[in-house]
Amino acid sequence: MTTQLPVPNQPTRDFVPQVSRVISLISRYGLLLFVAFLMAFPFIWMVLTTFKSPSYLFAIPPTFFPDKVFEEGATWASIFSSYVPLFTEHNFILYTRNSFVVAFLAAIGQLFTSSLAGFAFARLQFWGSRALFGILLATALVPIEVTIIPEFLLAITVFDPIFEFFGTKWIDSLLPLIVPSFFVGTTGTFLLREFFSQIPRELEEAAIIDGASVFGIYRYIYLPLSMPAMVTLFLLAFISNWNALLRAVIYVKSAEIRTLPIGLMAFQDEYTAQWDLLLSGSVVTIAPLIIVYIFMQRYIVEGIATTGLKG
Amino acid sequence: MRYHKSVPYLFILPMLLGLILFRFGPILGSFLISFTEWRGTRLPTFIGLANYTEILGSDIFWEVLVNTLIFALLFVPGTMLLGLVLALLANQKLRGIAFFRGVYYLPAITSMVAVALVWNWIFASRFGILNFVLRSYLGITDPPRWLSDSDTALYVLVIVSIWKSAGLPMLVYLAGLKGIPQVLYESARIDGASGWQMFRHITLPVLTPVTFFILIITLFDAFGTFEVTFAMTQGGPLNASTTLPFYIYQNSFQFARYGYASALAYVLMIVVIILTVFNFRIRTRWVQQELF
Repeated sequence: MTTQLPVPNQPTRDFVPQVSRVISLISRYGLLLFVAFLMAFPFIWMVLTTFKSPSYLFAIPPTFFPDKVFEEGATWASIFSSYVPLFTEHNFILYTRNSFVVAFLAAIGQLFTSSLAGFAFARLQFWGSRALFGILLATALVPIEVTIIPEFLLAITVFDPIFEFFGTKWIDSLLPLIVPSFFVGTTGTFLLREFFSQIPRELEEAAIIDGASVFGIYRYIYLPLSMPAMVTLFLLAFISNWNALLRAVIYVKSAEIRTLPIGLMAFQDEYTAQWDLLLSGSVVTIAPLIIVYIFMQRYIVEGIATTGLKG
Repeated sequence: MRYHKSVPYLFILPMLLGLILFRFGPILGSFLISFTEWRGTRLPTFIGLANYTEILGSDIFWEVLVNTLIFALLFVPGTMLLGLVLALLANQKLRGIAFFRGVYYLPAITSMVAVALVWNWIFASRFGILNFVLRSYLGITDPPRWLSDSDTALYVLVIVSIWKSAGLPMLVYLAGLKGIPQVLYESARIDGASGWQMFRHITLPVLTPVTFFILIITLFDAFGTFEVTFAMTQGGPLNASTTLPFYIYQNSFQFARYGYASALAYVLMIVVIILTVFNFRIRTRWVQQELF
C-alpha cells in the first residue's frame, strides 16, 4: 500500500536558490548601474560642478560634492548662482528661443513633407514612383559636405538678394536653418512609407464609400493611425535640429540669431576661464532635450522597434 | 481610391521641391564647381582637373585621408560593439530597465558643443580627471597629453564619438533582439547549450541582418565627424585630428576655396560610396536571412 507521506518543509533546499537569485539580481543591477555611470558620467559631473563654489572647480583631487547646495545660508539664488547670469546678463533666453523655433518648425515641416510623400509612395500609383524612391534612398548616401557648399553659394547669390529685396534677410536669419530640413525628409519618408504600407487597405473602403477624397483618406485614416510613428519622427527631428551645428556655424552671423550650440560656443570663446558659467551653459543646452526625452521616451524606443523592422 | 493622375505628384511636391533645391541641385552644383577655382567673392574660373590633381599631390590631404580611415576603422566596430553590449544589457526583464535604456541613449540626444566641454575637461592633461586617476591610482607618472598631443588627439575624438553614437545601434539591436523567437533558446537549453553557446550560435546569426543595417548607418556616422572635431579640437594639433569632413569645412568656410573644397567633397563621397558598395557586395557571405 502506498501512502503519500507528507514531505516536510525543506528549508535548506529552498534557501539556496533564493540566495543565488538575490546575488544574481544584485550583480545584474550592479552591472547595469556601472555601465550607466560610465555613460552618464559626463552629465553627472557637469551638473554637480555647476553647484560647486568656484574654488572647487579645479581642485586636485577633483571633488564631486555640490557644496553650494549645502552651505550655510544657501538660498535659491546662491545655489543657482552659476545659472542666473546666463539668463540675466547673457543672451541664453534668446538662444533658447531660437533653438526652439528652429527645432520645432523644422520638425513639423519634416512631418508634413515626409507623411505626404510616404503616403504617396505607400498607397498611390504614379509614374516614376519606384525610380524616385530608389533615387531618394541613393541621395541618403551623399554626405552633407557635398551639398552644403552649393547650398551656401545659392543662399548668397540667390536667396539673400531676393529676401533683401523684400526687406528681410535669408542669411543671418533662422530661415536657412529651418527650410532645408523642412523640405527634405529621407529617413522620415522611408519610415512612414513602411508604416503606412502596413495599415490595412480595408480601412479605406468605408471612407471611399462615403465619398472621401484621397487627401481625406490620408488625413482622417492614415495620419491618426500613425501617431506613434509620427511622434517618434517629430521627436527625432526636433532633437537633431536642436543640436545641428554645421548650418548654424555657416549661416549665423549676429548674436540675436544664435542657436544654443552657437551661443554656447561664442560664450566659451569669450569667457574661457569661467568654467562654472560655461558648464551651466552646457547644462542649459542639454536640459530642454532631456525633458522632452523623458516624457516621450516610450515613444522613441517603441517607435523604432515597431516602425523600423518587421517581425 | 480614385484620383486624378496628377494627385500623387501634389503629395510628393514638397519633398520634390526640397530634393531639387537641396539635394539634386547641390550635388550637380558641387560637381561642376569642383572643376573651377572659386575663391571668396571672386568669380569662378574653369580649371579642369587641377583641383583633383592638387588633392592627389597634397601631403595634407593624404594625412587627412589616413586620419579619416583610421577614425572609421575604429569607430564602426567600436560603436556597433558598444551598441550590442548596451542592447544585451537593456534587454533584461528587470524592473526599471526602461530607466537604464534611457540613460544609455542619453549621450545620443545631447548637443556636441555641450558635452565637448566636459570631455575637454576629462581629458585635460594637467587637471583632468582621467590623468588624475592614471597618476594617482595607476601610478602612471607621465600620462599622455591627449588632446594636446598629435599622437592621441584623434583617438580622443574616436572615444567621444563612440560614446555619443552607440545609442542608436543599441535601439536597433534591441528591436532585433526582441524579434528573436524564444523557441530557439528553449530547444537549445534542452539540448544543454550554455549561455555563451546560445549567444554565438543563435543570437549572433539571427541578428546578422540587423547587424548589417547597423553597419551601414554606423559607416555613415563615421563620416559625420565635423561636429566632434569642431567642438573639441578644431582639427589640431597641426591637422592631427583633422578628418576629411572637417577639412572640407575648413577649405570651404574658413579658406573660402569653394572649388577645391567641392573637389574634396566629391572625393569624400566616392570613399563613402566605395565602402558602402563593398559592404553590400560581401553581404551574402555573412548575412543569414532577409530582413524585409
